[in-house]
Amino acid sequence: MMERSDGRIRNFCIIAHIDHGKSTLSDRLLESTGTIQLREKVEQVLDRMDLEREKGITIKAKAVRMFYDYPGDGQRYELNLIDTPGHVDFSYEVSHALSACEGAILVVDATQGVEAQTIANLYMAMEHDLEIVPVVNKIDLPSARPDEVAEEIEALLGIPAEDVLQISAKEGIGIDDVLKAIVERVPPPKGNVEAPLRALIFDSHYDTYKGVIAYVRVVDGVIRPGDRAMLMSTEKELEPLEVGVFTPDMEPVEELRAGEVGYIATGLKTVRDCRVGDTITDLDRPAEEPLPGYRPPKPMVFAGLYPVNNEDYGALRDALEKLQLNDASLVFQPESSVALSSGFRCGFLGLLHMEIVQERLEREYGLDLLATAPSVEYQVLRKDGEVVVVDNPADLPPPEEIEEIHEPWMRVSIFTPQDYIGPLIELATSRRGEFERMEYLDERRVLLSFLMPLSEILVDFYDQLKSRSRGYASMDYAFYGYRPGDLVKMDILVNSVPVDALSLIVHRDKAYEKGSALVRRLKEVIPPQLFPVPIQAAIGGRVIARATVRALRKDVLAKCYGGDVTRKRKLLERQKEGKKRLKRIGKVDIPQEAFLAVLKLGE
Amino acid sequence: MKPAGIYIHIPFCQAKCAYCDFVSFAGLEHLHAPYIQALLREIELKSPAWAGIPFDTLYLGGGTPSILSPAQIGHLLEACRRHFQVLPESEITLEANPGTVQNWLPWRKLGITRLSLGIQSLHDDELALLGRIHAAQEAIQAYTAARAAGFENINLDFLFGLPGQSLRRWQETLTQALELAPEHLSLYCLTLEEHTPLARQIAQGLLPAPDDDLAAEMYELAEEMLAKAGYLHYEISNWARSTGESEGELPRLACRHNVKYWHNERYLGLGAAAYSYDGKHRSGNVEHPKDYILRLQRGQDPTATSEETDRQRQIEETMMLGLRLLEGISWEAFSQRFGEDLREIYAQEITTLAEEGLLTIDELGIRLSKRGRLLGNRVFAAFLH
Repeated sequence: MMERSDGRIRNFCIIAHIDHGKSTLSDRLLESTGTIQLREKVEQVLDRMDLEREKGITIKAKAVRMFYDYPGDGQRYELNLIDTPGHVDFSYEVSHALSACEGAILVVDATQGVEAQTIANLYMAMEHDLEIVPVVNKIDLPSARPDEVAEEIEALLGIPAEDVLQISAKEGIGIDDVLKAIVERVPPPKGNVEAPLRALIFDSHYDTYKGVIAYVRVVDGVIRPGDRAMLMSTEKELEPLEVGVFTPDMEPVEELRAGEVGYIATGLKTVRDCRVGDTITDLDRPAEEPLPGYRPPKPMVFAGLYPVNNEDYGALRDALEKLQLNDASLVFQPESSVALSSGFRCGFLGLLHMEIVQERLEREYGLDLLATAPSVEYQVLRKDGEVVVVDNPADLPPPEEIEEIHEPWMRVSIFTPQDYIGPLIELATSRRGEFERMEYLDERRVLLSFLMPLSEILVDFYDQLKSRSRGYASMDYAFYGYRPGDLVKMDILVNSVPVDALSLIVHRDKAYEKGSALVRRLKEVIPPQLFPVPIQAAIGGRVIARATVRALRKDVLAKCYGGDVTRKRKLLERQKEGKKRLKRIGKVDIPQEAFLAVLKLGE
Repeated sequence: MKPAGIYIHIPFCQAKCAYCDFVSFAGLEHLHAPYIQALLREIELKSPAWAGIPFDTLYLGGGTPSILSPAQIGHLLEACRRHFQVLPESEITLEANPGTVQNWLPWRKLGITRLSLGIQSLHDDELALLGRIHAAQEAIQAYTAARAAGFENINLDFLFGLPGQSLRRWQETLTQALELAPEHLSLYCLTLEEHTPLARQIAQGLLPAPDDDLAAEMYELAEEMLAKAGYLHYEISNWARSTGESEGELPRLACRHNVKYWHNERYLGLGAAAYSYDGKHRSGNVEHPKDYILRLQRGQDPTATSEETDRQRQIEETMMLGLRLLEGISWEAFSQRFGEDLREIYAQEITTLAEEGLLTIDELGIRLSKRGRLLGNRVFAAFLH
């Protein structure tokens, strides 16, 4: 049966803090509208990647079309749900997913209340002029305080608390009210079917058979398979082989019209040619202006990825290329390190993005990897007036050539119950944070705002934030600007040899403290070797901290007789296999975690 | 053709020790007799395949073989002599535990030439910790009684690196052991095996974990004390008393049976969980005595696992086993056996290990250095590909 909605369309997204129930609500909406059957239901249909399900986050935007028979007028409506990544690393993607919508369901956990990401995403939704439909979720939980949370939302949004829907996605309570509210409150899309085609790309993925699939919201005009089209930022020509909608599987349709959400099989070979935020238009009748908002993704965090076994270099390059087909924000270029030989310098949107890429490389491509400590991108003003960009501490010019080093600063928003204000201010200022302001959200909860160097956020800041607030505080951050700092390069010497992959850039005032903590930590993670191994931290050739890895004295099987041969052999083989995962630098075997030791220095 | 060895496994004990993960069971007294019957059947069953192969060692191990009666063991020895070509002058070893034998004479009369006593420690608190059924005094009595009964070649087993054991306590045990002047000493560093009561107690924090560095010192102390007392160190954990005559590569009083394992030679294993190596296949019998008995009662082969060792594997195992002996591996013996030059096929490994000070090279061959004996796993693993 052909579903008909005659242009009655609502495009919306769901925004929420992590774990507030966004995925569960998505599933319920799909179920209630019969888009997916209960029997074919897999928990959290939209989170397709294993990693997403495990981490409880959405990494990429997705879309799905549903039909809903609105009881108010007995008509059938097409509802397009555009799922957005919830994590700060992916805010660029979020912003484009929001551009494709007219409304947003704001989900707030009835036991937790408003959190940092709720606000961050909400502000973004408001910047895009979206109609907000606030929902308090998890009202079935004993510790739920739905009325209080509704008041919080009223204070925040000015939407009367009684208009805030109270639901439990898990128990299926209030789902129909959400669907009604979408039809009633979210405005229908504007846009002109007669105008030249303008379709906003809000995500893409690579399909082995169909090439790059662009996820689009058609703003003006119509697109049909076989139309000649092009990308406005690059004027690259496209031949859409197929257009369709997500149901949630891809289902071809004859055309996509203004206001609709769906996909275009572009025939392109890589997602890098099909950037999120770009506009697709008609080649023969191009639109005059692209839709606003395209900018290339900007990596903020850089790290070296090296194969543990040098012979896997080619495999790593292939794997990175394949990942990049689907992840335009991942950048990489070959890099070589004295200690680690050949690998790649990779740029990521943030630490979570880095973790995801590394895990996918190891899991999906079976690679054993070494990651160096993440670094930010420094702008180094040399005495000769030249500015060089450095994203690897090992590449920092010698101190005598440096006039000034600038590093990226972020504006950090922290939401916390007031009980933890003291410890959190202390934490932020100990990380060179500059306090900006404090606002009370209600009588218990406050928003703290700081300016802080990104490099300080990268190192264990989030875990510390959680531990000092017993898990109650949440945070979000956005780029603020580059500022000069008194920064120096710290070298780490293992067995008197500097290991470039362990170098880091630190603030001069903290160099001693950091150096001592780092050599202590390295001493713990580097296993005993055949001889004692000194570990030293040095600045400009001066050793500021030192520790020694003791020599291994005993490693031998006491017994091996006739019945043991096979068993003992396997034991030795396992031992040898374990040693292969260590990286040999000079005469010292170093485990992977040593390169990330700087992230886990504790406080 | 080099004579082979026979190993007979007796998987019974009076009580299970706290550190033991061998295939041995306490409380299965009712299975002793049927087990002997099953062994007799296996001897018959295996004899055709090993016909024409001479044997010059026979080793009764366990478990605790001395938990059986001399008559039961007598039947087994007799059957072996009847079905296999057991050479005169063979070394016949019985493993025995103090506290299991009152009268050694009947055992001596069976033609057993060598006795191996599991003493483990000469401190009562350590014996209790290990879950041994005897006290130190009983162990000494067992040794003296065996001597009196005419045993002229006795090995004593000891353990070091026990939780909480000090260097000084180990020295005391060694001093007393040397006063007994046994022909042979096996000194094993305690290995914590998973799923043993001792490992559990340590995991739960009820006992201190053994200290590897201290164990290394205990080992070096033993090497020193035993050398002074006239013992020749010939395998990582084994010493034989010097006879005063010329000794050759291996001491005269070395355990000839065990040396076959380290030389990667053939042996026939009989009994539950016993392993055989015919020069090509390593095969193992079913582990539980009940299953073993059942199989043989039905006339079935008790073999549970068997794997073929290809040439590469034979080379690797020859290295891993042979390097345990202090004589090491000679260029000569290796090329005779495999027709290749050890210096060529393991050039890289040998150079590296020698540079690391773990291996000694000379005109005869390679062997573990003093330090290498404590870091043997590093050396063995290097030869496995």
